[in-house]
Amino acid sequence: MKKTFVMVLIFALCASLLVGCGGSSKVQDNENTASQDTQLNLFTWEGMFPQEVLDEFTAETGIAINYSNFDFNETMLAKLQTAKGGDYDLVIADDYIIETVIAEGLAQKLDKSKLENYGNINPIYQSQFYDPENEYTVPYGAGIQTIVYDPDLVNIDISGYADLWDSSLKNSIGIIGNYRVINGLALKVLGESYNTEDISKIQAAGEKLLELAPNIRLIKDDNLQDDLLTGEITVGVMYTSQVTMAKLANPNLKIVFPSEGIGFGIMAGFIPSNAPHPDAAHKFIDYILRPEVSAKCFEWLGYYCTNKAAEEYISKEYKDFLTLPTDFSSDMEMIQRVGAEAEEAHAKIWTEFKSAIGK
Amino acid sequence: MIKRAFECFRQLNINCVAFLAVLPLFVFTFMFVIGPLIYMLVLSFLQRAEVWGIVNKFTFKNYMDIFEPVYLKTFIESFKLAITTTILIMIIGYPFGYFMAKLDAKWKKRMMLLIFIPFWTSSLIRLYGWIIIFRANGILDKLLMALNITEEPLKLLYTYPAVVVGMIYVLLPFMIFSVYSSAEKLDWSLVEAARDLGASSMQAFFTISLKLTLPGLLSGVVLTFIPSMGLFFIADILGGNKVVLVGNLIQEQLMKAHNWPFAAALSVVLMILTSVMIYIYRRISNVKELEGLV
Amino acid sequence: MKNNTRLANIYLGFILALMYLPIIIVIVYSFNSSKISSVWGGFSFKWYKELLRDKSMFDAVVNSLILASTSSILAAIIGTLAAVGMPKVNLPGKGVVEYLSTLPIMIPEIILGMVFLTYFSLIRLPFGMLTLVIAHTSFCIPYVYMLVKARLVGIDKSLAEAAKDLGASEIRVFFDITLPLILPAILSGMLLSFAMSLDDVVISIFVTGVNTNTLPIKIYTQLRTGVTPKINALSTLMLGANLLICLLSVWIGKQGSHHKEYLEMEGN
Repeated sequence: MKKTFVMVLIFALCASLLVGCGGSSKVQDNENTASQDTQLNLFTWEGMFPQEVLDEFTAETGIAINYSNFDFNETMLAKLQTAKGGDYDLVIADDYIIETVIAEGLAQKLDKSKLENYGNINPIYQSQFYDPENEYTVPYGAGIQTIVYDPDLVNIDISGYADLWDSSLKNSIGIIGNYRVINGLALKVLGESYNTEDISKIQAAGEKLLELAPNIRLIKDDNLQDDLLTGEITVGVMYTSQVTMAKLANPNLKIVFPSEGIGFGIMAGFIPSNAPHPDAAHKFIDYILRPEVSAKCFEWLGYYCTNKAAEEYISKEYKDFLTLPTDFSSDMEMIQRVGAEAEEAHAKIWTEFKSAIGK
Repeated sequence: MIKRAFECFRQLNINCVAFLAVLPLFVFTFMFVIGPLIYMLVLSFLQRAEVWGIVNKFTFKNYMDIFEPVYLKTFIESFKLAITTTILIMIIGYPFGYFMAKLDAKWKKRMMLLIFIPFWTSSLIRLYGWIIIFRANGILDKLLMALNITEEPLKLLYTYPAVVVGMIYVLLPFMIFSVYSSAEKLDWSLVEAARDLGASSMQAFFTISLKLTLPGLLSGVVLTFIPSMGLFFIADILGGNKVVLVGNLIQEQLMKAHNWPFAAALSVVLMILTSVMIYIYRRISNVKELEGLV
Repeated sequence: MKNNTRLANIYLGFILALMYLPIIIVIVYSFNSSKISSVWGGFSFKWYKELLRDKSMFDAVVNSLILASTSSILAAIIGTLAAVGMPKVNLPGKGVVEYLSTLPIMIPEIILGMVFLTYFSLIRLPFGMLTLVIAHTSFCIPYVYMLVKARLVGIDKSLAEAAKDLGASEIRVFFDITLPLILPAILSGMLLSFAMSLDDVVISIFVTGVNTNTLPIKIYTQLRTGVTPKINALSTLMLGANLLICLLSVWIGKQGSHHKEYLEMEGN
């Protein structure tokens, strides 16, 4: 009896550890075929591709897609760093983090000879700060900071960020939780750049934001469009995909390109430096750069289309939100990383702003 | 230690059996808890790098920064929410666990399963359910207006009460299970005896039942209080991110400001404060049996 | 006295109904043909069809179930043994270890995930199911430990001592007397552990490997593009499967008891 007990205990411990090991050893299995890749380890947010696009790629090439997800860009970088640029074959993330990824040597240069459809990319979204020579990345969707509002419920005409401070909008604005975007909005109203490193200017923006606090009803990253559609809020500063969803559900909504200037961000794909299946990654990139495939992706994703050739394939219903207006002025600025001191100032004014809303 | 383990295999006396029983916890804690803890502690004394990562330079700055009023306030907010939640959960959950223990054996099992099943749905998705209930002109508003209790939409969503409801909803089972597992072993004949001796049911409850289920209640309080200190996504989802909690701040420092050392320092302080709170609580409630719990 | 008053039963029913209210809404909205929850686009099975095409979703469910059951069982074993053995063992610093082992639930998940990531890569553990199980077990142990400990308080020691006087060994006493008495607490702790493991996302994202996406990871990382009712459909299916299993076990239980009654009658 005694011995059985001890045995059971030890067995249970070993068994559970073995089960664990069994699961993880799968990872190593598929590294033998470098030239004839049969697998692609895709690492990005969930829901970035319609299922049929992934299925068709597998059907066409025989490459199985192994889709892993991260929540924040920062989580991705931390994991990629731990894996020393390995494990994953293709990562899609935001512009500012890619700059750091490249600086840390965690990305490899693209072999453009393998990318027949490379020329389809809209040049507006190329040669940006994170990859000035276009050596490492291929853009996959752009977000543009706009204001969306319901003209039936808002008494004023909103044309820029400054209008958000209007007293008639008390407790009726919903914003996303990205502090560089929201603090940046105040900076823009003060006529500054998003990326100023001047602490006094950031603090001034913080003061300005505190005045906005009474108008803010909520800060939320996910499904903000729902609140606009149900009348919980009447004005929203939200992600582009949310704007697209909101506008599709309620065509009455007005989208404003703020008069103070436009901020935008780009999501882009890159291949990590020690990717186990770089060939498969190139094949996949080339596949999603095809105009028809690309159009499908962007209609699904709801971000601005970064593929010039795909624009004609985008259905009429979506065209207005996924492509820029033809008379669009190029007074645009991207949000970039700032130094540690400026970053901390941003974090601090943001916390103060949030506490002020709670009151 | 290994030598002692081998000895035990041969002898198997009382002390040695107990030693073998605690061995897995010791090994696990030494291997997988102490290491990460030390790393976190070290991290909290280092400097952040300009863009990404850390610089191996010793500093107290991270701890000093916590004393900024804006950051101190987040600690107060977290405590306020945690205490409010814990008290309400105690009031709602104690009777539930207690009554549950009085059910017959068949229903006890069913009840456990019934409480457990909602967990199969991700808490995020369940909280989305609450959003639909609380929404302006949503289910709750329509119900209240139909019953003529209120006349116009309450705008309950994104308010403090909504956050508290969400917290209670997510953490209630901790209290229920804790009270239940303690009340379940209650010797009901004692209560009956008290009744026979002329005690009212209230008297019998306070003199016997409550006293005997106290350990369950107290551990339930600890089990709900600890997670409620760190939980912040409920405040984000149901409160519209307007209540700034420590957990929230830590996430932002880590994931947005890239200031890992400051986030680590905040976590260390939160951990110490939680421990102290539980220590004080244990002293006040003066339950010897919970000694060593925290 | 042992039985509840009617009022008590109404209370149980009421609270339970409140717990199920959001679940019912989740189920209703899984049939909503619109992608956004604020618009009712009509009844449809669209999301169920989408779900069936998404194999990765089922892989994630399987991973989550393996992870939750392994770590809750591990936590139950480690936690229970420690709770039973701790009062009897004579080791220096046992109080300290006891305290340290509860710390994982006092540290905010996000930083715990981050330090686990660094620590595991430092000790060269391959990221995957193993690291997931270790991380989850670490935050499940305290719950089992505390619940069992609370249950052990005031358990009639005389019973165990009497058994020992009669010559039963320590282990025999544990299995025959202590274990049945603390079983409800172990079960409660395991269920809570299972539930928490099934729901954890923040720590999992950090310690997961290439092939081991869990369900919560798939749900939370959709925030960028919006959570679709596909998740509602999946939740509904999982709830349905649960309900089926419960009904089945009740039914089997009934069959069993009928059988027993029958046998007893025969015996008489």
